[in-house]
Amino acid sequence: MSIGKDEVIHIARLAELAVSEQELPKLAEQLGRIVSFVEELNQAPAEETAPAYLAGPATTPLRPDEVNPVPLSRSPAEIAPAFVDGFFVVPRLGAMEEA
Amino acid sequence: MSGEAGKRGSGEAMARETGARLKGAESLNAVLDWSQEILDAEGARVDAMKAPGVLHAVPVALKDNIVTIEQPSTCASRILEGYRSPFNATVVNRLRAAGAIIAAKANMDEFAMGSSTEHSAYGRVKHPLDPTRVPGGSSGGSAALVAAGVVPVALGSETGGSVRQPASFCGVVGVKPSYGRVSRYGLVAFGSSLDCISVFGRTVEDATRVLSVISGHDPLEATSVDQPAITPAPAFAGAQGRPPLQGIKIGLPREYLPADLHPGVRAAMDRSIAALKDLGAELRDVSLPHSRYAVPTYYIVAPAEAAANLARFDGVRYGPRHIEPADGDVRALYRATRGKGFGPEVRRRILVGTYVLSSGYYDAYYGKAQRMRALIADDFTRAFGPGGVDFLFTPTTPTPAFVAGEKSEDPVAMYLADIFVCAVSLAGLPALSIPIGRDQGLPIGGQVIAPYFAEPRMLAVAAALESAVSATAEVRS
Amino acid sequence: MTWEIVIGLEVHVQLETRSKMFCGCANTFGAPPNTNVCPVCLGLPGALPVPNAQAVKLGTQAALALGSTIHQRSVFARKNYFYPDLPKGYQISQFDQPLATGGAVEVESPERGRITISITRLHLEEDAGKSLHDRVPGKTAVDLNRAGAPLAEIVSGPDMRSPAEARAYLVALKQILMYARVSECSMEKGSLRVDANMSIRRAGESKLGTKTEVKNMNSFANVERALEAEYQRQVGLVDVGKPVQQVTLLFNAATGTVKPMRSKEESHDYRYFPDPDLPPLVLAPAWINEQRVSLPELPEARRQRMMAGYGLSAYHAQELTLEKALADYFETVVKAKAEPARAVGWVLRDVTAGFHEGGGFPVSAERLAELIGLVKDGVVSDQAARRVYAGMASSSESARGIADQLGLVQVGDSDTLGKWVDEVIAASPGEVARYKGGDAKLIGFFVGQVMKKSGGKADPKKVQPVLIERLGD
Repeated sequence: MSIGKDEVIHIARLAELAVSEQELPKLAEQLGRIVSFVEELNQAPAEETAPAYLAGPATTPLRPDEVNPVPLSRSPAEIAPAFVDGFFVVPRLGAMEEA
Repeated sequence: MSGEAGKRGSGEAMARETGARLKGAESLNAVLDWSQEILDAEGARVDAMKAPGVLHAVPVALKDNIVTIEQPSTCASRILEGYRSPFNATVVNRLRAAGAIIAAKANMDEFAMGSSTEHSAYGRVKHPLDPTRVPGGSSGGSAALVAAGVVPVALGSETGGSVRQPASFCGVVGVKPSYGRVSRYGLVAFGSSLDCISVFGRTVEDATRVLSVISGHDPLEATSVDQPAITPAPAFAGAQGRPPLQGIKIGLPREYLPADLHPGVRAAMDRSIAALKDLGAELRDVSLPHSRYAVPTYYIVAPAEAAANLARFDGVRYGPRHIEPADGDVRALYRATRGKGFGPEVRRRILVGTYVLSSGYYDAYYGKAQRMRALIADDFTRAFGPGGVDFLFTPTTPTPAFVAGEKSEDPVAMYLADIFVCAVSLAGLPALSIPIGRDQGLPIGGQVIAPYFAEPRMLAVAAALESAVSATAEVRS
Repeated sequence: MTWEIVIGLEVHVQLETRSKMFCGCANTFGAPPNTNVCPVCLGLPGALPVPNAQAVKLGTQAALALGSTIHQRSVFARKNYFYPDLPKGYQISQFDQPLATGGAVEVESPERGRITISITRLHLEEDAGKSLHDRVPGKTAVDLNRAGAPLAEIVSGPDMRSPAEARAYLVALKQILMYARVSECSMEKGSLRVDANMSIRRAGESKLGTKTEVKNMNSFANVERALEAEYQRQVGLVDVGKPVQQVTLLFNAATGTVKPMRSKEESHDYRYFPDPDLPPLVLAPAWINEQRVSLPELPEARRQRMMAGYGLSAYHAQELTLEKALADYFETVVKAKAEPARAVGWVLRDVTAGFHEGGGFPVSAERLAELIGLVKDGVVSDQAARRVYAGMASSSESARGIADQLGLVQVGDSDTLGKWVDEVIAASPGEVARYKGGDAKLIGFFVGQVMKKSGGKADPKKVQPVLIERLGD
């Protein structure tokens, strides 16, 4: 399976990762190699199917409806890269903006 | 954990001693953060405890993906440079309550993605016995610190063998518990259905003591299993002169002992198998036919989960931020922050994970991998089932530690370093690696795999093997 | 060309729990920004979710109230997309294995009479935070207090054929959810939110047209307006031969128009997969049944009971049950021995008006029952009673006491009435002459004059005989 540059660009946009034009060919080649490798799974005999694996307990525990948050030893203001008047601040939404 | 550790009032002395050792080991680049101030404060804190805990004054190094309030928690990534967690991981709270000294944050492959600790944004970790070689990974910093004698025990994390593999390379004990038996709360997630905080120790006994402190149910984690803490099982001792492992059946999965196995690894295995027989164990040939699909299965499941787990690193709430162009919109913030913040291997895995989950590919990749995962786990269930064996014994890695740079241009070759450890991670089983000799000076590890929640007996078997096989003797001389 | 409108609605309601969906933060609003947060709802590295038992319970009850089938096994999934107020870069929701599927809501359609709107599914998920665009100039400000609040998303079938039907469905749905006590259901406060899907097709066609999604509607009235505007937009396109594109549109309440959002190229690939942090949600059949049995009485059952038990008309039963609180109040009034026929008038008129002005119930049901008793016994007139009611709202005095204070107790003794009647007859010689000449209808005029003279205190039933007697002299 080979992965084209356009496909890399598309995936990188979905993942919100900047990818430079120069690194595209190598990235496409490496991703293609990884994807071909994982496609070894297709060699598994077709009759072998199983329900999806489930890690951990078979059912989720449920938390009692109590107010008891894990406390923060530092406030959001102390960890945020940009914080104004109690708010996290980001650039305007731009292309994501609603109308 | 001999020496000062365990004695009342020894915290301060241990803090000084540990500081000196950390300083002495700086050339390994195994540590991302430590300070004498924090060490001293930790020493004073444990000395002030009313009753000495199980790990009183024992210095512990933590892989940097285990969050702590006192030190930065960066996951060896630029995207978390300087990040200070406002809460401690559950394991950190438990270690502290047991009197341990949180000594240092250990270097690692960025976000635990790697098998050599070359993928750290803060430089590679050197193998303590040969600086040209890698210590394994991704928990290479923790492994190197234990191997170099800087700390007696350290925590790492496993997603696909990231503690057993470096334990093998570095010649120390590495124990991965059953999935869910040690809390993941405060472990920065990589592959959530695989991640296990795991332990390095110089001896099985040391590792067991740490596990007894950090294991046990945690209400803050929905995948935490309702099992008691791991307590040491009575040592296997042959009654009335019988050999200690009499009646224990140990399976040798043939897929893990291929004809072209590295000769040093082969020799170490042969010697250990002979030792196990001498201990009275019955050795049997078994088959785990689906293990051959473990690595490709892993490289679908783990990146898919990672792509979602790492979406939170967006430069909005914490961590350094980049915006390009400088007056750009929020997407410019995301793309530049993530583009600059993540290193090449993390970027590759995010892209692979995004690809296998993207529209139209889910069933072909993730769905198929999750079904294969069930088949891989079924193999183990059968091997341990009625009429089967009690444990499995395999090499931990196909080769001893490799030379730095050897596999860095070929991601797939790097992935294959985990060929013997991946299946266990996918099945969520407990397993450990213990040193079983050296080949041309490089340690070789043997892997004991046990059924779910059989950690105590697994550790007892490992202790028996540990006492019967020299960890440091050359296996081909 | 006649076009048929096809509408389906996605309704999000906040579940009334004490804590959030997956963490122990309070599920309350109004705290200073980013103070009602913890590692989980901030999406901090290492934090993990654990589901809230009460949210599961309320979601189950909501689904049961809608007649949905609860699945014993449902799965939380990650819905992946980037947005500043989505802390983890994914929302924990349910995808291919939701909590419940099926169900229906009976709706009175203005055009089609009684119709059934099907429920496709109900699933549990967590809320996002809020992005504010006017707080910091040129920037977007993010408040995560709401992030992680528990939501139930209720998806209807594409069963509505007009904007008015969509509104009627929302009214009925809200009523059911409030009766089930799962949510406050306030669009103003954001505890009920509506997204609409709409397409048009030629009348009689069975294939669905391309649908668009309309968002940003903050009242039921605006849902109706927005859908009307979107209908006009789609017809406008098709009439000139342009295709309808699959877009998301935002309603602008000020202009009454819908405008497409700037396109989000990758927005539709959410890469759902089961959340590996959360094992499946498994509910025991016995527990599900327990929730079914303990459901409060729902609106339809209550309407039937009120018609049968109190002899109310279908219209009155419908009006009374619209707000559960009003129906409860009504029943308390009746329990305090007021006649249902009188009580319904009071509750739907004076009590409802005050309730909708946000005043709650200033006059307790028991006190209103006393007042209704005074009217029945002729102690105060119906008209005077409304003034007494107003007085009761600001006083704890009994109805009788207020009527006395205000001098509103009806006068029925013939001496006093006779005096007023004589004065009115003396003051209206023309009318008296016409009455005597055979214009019997004028009796109403004389009654009115007497009432006026008495300041409303005269008992109208007793005035008329006195009038007839004296006019006959």
